[in-house]
Amino acid sequence: MKLFEYQAKEAFAEAGIPVPVGALASGIDAVDEAVAVTGVPCVIKSQVLKGGRGKAGLIQFAQNEAEARHKARDLLNSPHGVRKLLFEQAVDIDRELYLAITLDPVNATAMFIACAEGGVEIEKLAVEQPDKIVTVKVDIAWGIMPHHLREITFGLNLSDDIAKKVSSIAQKLYGVFRATGAELAEINPLFVAKNGEVLAGDGKLIIDDTMSEARTKYPLAPEYFDTETEYEAALEGIPYLQFDGDIALMCAGAGLTTTVFDLIHYAGGTVANYLEFGGPNYTKALQAMRLCLKNPSRVILVVTFGTIARADVMATGLVEAINVLKPDIPIVTCIRGTNEEEAFDTLRAAGLEPLSETEVAVRRAVDIAAGRKT
Amino acid sequence: MSIFIDAGTTVEVQGATGKEGSYWLKHMKEMGTKVVFGVTPGKEGQDVEGVPVFHSVQRGMTRHPAELAMLFVPPRFTKDAVFEALDAGIRKIVTIAEGIPLHESIQIRKAAISCGAMVIGGNTSGIISPAKAMAGCIPYWIERVYKNGDIGVMTRSGSLTNEVTAEVVKGGFGVSTLIGVGGDSVPGTRFAELLPLYENDPETKAVVIIGELGGSMEEEVAEAMEAKLFTKPLVAFIGGRTAPEGKRMGHAGAIVSGGKGSVKGKVAALEKAGGLTAAKPSQVGGLLKQALK
Repeated sequence: MKLFEYQAKEAFAEAGIPVPVGALASGIDAVDEAVAVTGVPCVIKSQVLKGGRGKAGLIQFAQNEAEARHKARDLLNSPHGVRKLLFEQAVDIDRELYLAITLDPVNATAMFIACAEGGVEIEKLAVEQPDKIVTVKVDIAWGIMPHHLREITFGLNLSDDIAKKVSSIAQKLYGVFRATGAELAEINPLFVAKNGEVLAGDGKLIIDDTMSEARTKYPLAPEYFDTETEYEAALEGIPYLQFDGDIALMCAGAGLTTTVFDLIHYAGGTVANYLEFGGPNYTKALQAMRLCLKNPSRVILVVTFGTIARADVMATGLVEAINVLKPDIPIVTCIRGTNEEEAFDTLRAAGLEPLSETEVAVRRAVDIAAGRKT
Repeated sequence: MSIFIDAGTTVEVQGATGKEGSYWLKHMKEMGTKVVFGVTPGKEGQDVEGVPVFHSVQRGMTRHPAELAMLFVPPRFTKDAVFEALDAGIRKIVTIAEGIPLHESIQIRKAAISCGAMVIGGNTSGIISPAKAMAGCIPYWIERVYKNGDIGVMTRSGSLTNEVTAEVVKGGFGVSTLIGVGGDSVPGTRFAELLPLYENDPETKAVVIIGELGGSMEEEVAEAMEAKLFTKPLVAFIGGRTAPEGKRMGHAGAIVSGGKGSVKGKVAALEKAGGLTAAKPSQVGGLLKQALK
């Protein structure tokens, strides 16, 4: 789960990583108080999870209180769903660095990525100037050691004083990374201020939400999701993505659902939602269909080929869901796998045609969505 | 022959007395898998389907040496269970757990590499050599999928594996060994590491890989082919060609970020290395015929 910048910076600050003096404003009424903390000039940073905030105009500078209020109002009223603003004291920047820790799934280690040029997209830099990037692998079982930190600071060619500060930040960032079981802990840019201070200009933290500690500290909330339905699905533990097409997918198995998603596009159709109720969710047909019906669509397409997620159980669940929710759109079914004969009988008894070929089912759904006779 | 598991492989089952463990232990036995003991702390002296249960792997190993550990253990306890098997000297481990903490997946893989062991999974349905043996929760009784033959299958998925493997069988082929490496972003064993096993298996004539967006496992397969570490025909189906960037498509590992992990890139790499790629599952059988002509 990706955290907001202000949450990442809170975690960094708790670990002792210097961050600019800042205050969070959850609405226009809190702006004056926030500016009183930061003073002016200040930076106003929209708290949204999408990247590219600078380009989208979601980060603004204000020279005085009036300008801060005015710009804060504009950001909160922008079409980007901004609910919170992080106000920060402006930093007199000498240079910007890049520092991150992620995982190397091939070598099975943690991995620092550092660069003497911060503020740019690291992916872009990795392609254009790979020699400027320093990577240092750390075996999680052995832990971080001084030589790892030296590798970073000498690699970035930092002066002694700055090296000492960057070193300390890197060590603390590693602590945050381990404590949150993170996929990524990134500071981009890492400011080197003209007064010699080194502090986190931005913060990105993608934590492991399979860790219950993380769930306790960062409970699911609507603000992490693009739509209300995606939030509700997350509460159910059902993978769900909302789109604006015609066909609602109610499939089982991540790989199969992704493949059905492709097949629909190949056949000229469009997807209203991606929903996968396989694995531990295979008995949740009712919840799955309720989620599908939240978003307008022309047809529900059910494709499964389950093992533990037995076909007979899924078919029975589907029929029950139809009886409860009485959807007014057609349902195309292709439910196969363990005990599929019973599943076919259940579907037939409910007046549904049990298809057994995925591509046939996809074509059927695409035809229905297009208003073609089937 | 087959790889990783065959009719003679001795298997111990951790989490043997649990609901899932006992259910699949029964099926593994029924299929012919040589299950020699089970493990559930506190339940030594009991048996499951005639298989003796021990408090620990170590205690079972002294009586009934096993070559492969099959784990039906919840994700939070998987790291301990894997290390217990490694400590007891087992070098083949399969874990189906979905939701192993990310940093523990890293430690599991690192430990496996250090010990010269292979951990398959998590987030997989396991491994099967049809008509011989199975470790996991694979419905071997579905004949139109799990037919014995000479095609190796490696996959990141569960249901999609049934879908694609049914097409392999429809094409007139069968499976030598099917290995689910799992859908996590840090699988214990990666596709490319299994290729040498298939290369050396005289009963495997070609390999099908069932991949998806995200990560770099398919690209690593292409590299292994370029390096001639694998020289048999290879057919790939990779899901997620039309998936939008930045969205996680069900599996933890199925996400394109920063332009990396796109299906387009994977297909290009595999084709350059001489592999054949199917846009739809239904093309897999035909491509296999073409590859084996």
